[in-house]
Amino acid sequence: MQLNIEIKRYNPDEDDEPHWESYEVPAEPLDSALSLLLHVKWHIDGTLSLRKSCAHGICGSDAMQINGENKLACSVLVQDLADGDGDTITFAPLPSAPVIKDLIIDQSRFFEKYRDVKPWLITDGPEPEREYEQSPEEHAMIEDATKCIMCGACTHACPSTWADPDYLGPAAMLKAYRYTFDSRDDGVEERLDVVDSPDGLWKCYTIFNCNESCPKDIDITRWLSALKRKAATSQASTTA
Amino acid sequence: MAVDTEERPTATASKTDATAQQERRFQRYRIRTGMFAWMMHRLTGVGLVVYLIIHIWGLTALTDPETFNALIAKYHSPIYKVGEFALLVAVAYHAMNGLRIVLIDFLGWSPKQKKLFWTLGAVTAVIILVGGWPSLYALGEWAFGPGSMPTLFL
Repeated sequence: MQLNIEIKRYNPDEDDEPHWESYEVPAEPLDSALSLLLHVKWHIDGTLSLRKSCAHGICGSDAMQINGENKLACSVLVQDLADGDGDTITFAPLPSAPVIKDLIIDQSRFFEKYRDVKPWLITDGPEPEREYEQSPEEHAMIEDATKCIMCGACTHACPSTWADPDYLGPAAMLKAYRYTFDSRDDGVEERLDVVDSPDGLWKCYTIFNCNESCPKDIDITRWLSALKRKAATSQASTTA
Repeated sequence: MAVDTEERPTATASKTDATAQQERRFQRYRIRTGMFAWMMHRLTGVGLVVYLIIHIWGLTALTDPETFNALIAKYHSPIYKVGEFALLVAVAYHAMNGLRIVLIDFLGWSPKQKKLFWTLGAVTAVIILVGGWPSLYALGEWAFGPGSMPTLFL
């Protein structure tokens, strides 16, 4: 089928503001959305800029707003975006992030927030002689959250992020959950100090845009709720 | 760290119109159940705060019986019936969605959020229809003449 591809283009050296451009692209129902962009880049307009690396939903480079919601371009199929000949698919950079060029956003802020939640194992006991052990039951607590590939689709889908650029956002706080609820980790308080703040957990209004946009189908809201309960109960115990 | 984002001249260039447009508070985004529920929650929440202010201001009429009776008499006019109905819609929705959020946040019912939305939406509709019938009845009588409204359960 022949599709109409609309891409929000922006070149900081030439354009005052972003504008939409249309391209006619041949496609098969089982093509990925990414392949449409690559067709444009390789056969129509080589100046189109986008991030992609593995193209198999692992590296998380090509998150963008497709048909009005955030998706991973390599992990969504044409058949789920268009019904047939002449249909339009739109591509825009992730909402609310600064754009470097075309579909490429500046991820600095996103990764700063990631570092803010201390996304590493914090331990205070003596080091074990061999590895830190964890039972399958203990791992089950964090399994869903470990699937995160840091693509940024969720954080940039969140109206709280749009309204407050300093809001930690779902991706960073999911990492906070992933380590806080890790049976080997002792950094609960350090991490709660960061997420239990006006720019943290309490700006999550259970809007579910994060869940809807996650290419790994992580139930992010569920884990943020668990983190909220943890923060609420541990605060109660320290003030009591 | 694997990612070094300290030096990015192009990204940290002075804020152009383009970045201002990109970083705005309101974004065009597909509205699904969760975001719809939240937007309505905000809207009804702000509406209820405005209502509360007007409502409490109305209590200033409590100083003497005559002004109070005159104020109460106004409440029978059609415009107040519309307001009464709107108030019920806002309260019913805000309460039921509030319950939904409590169940999600306190009991971890996130996986059931869509079912919750539709179920509590149906409950809200019933509350609005049953509870709002007297207001609708009064409005109908005013608009189409006495006796024009069917007497249902009330």
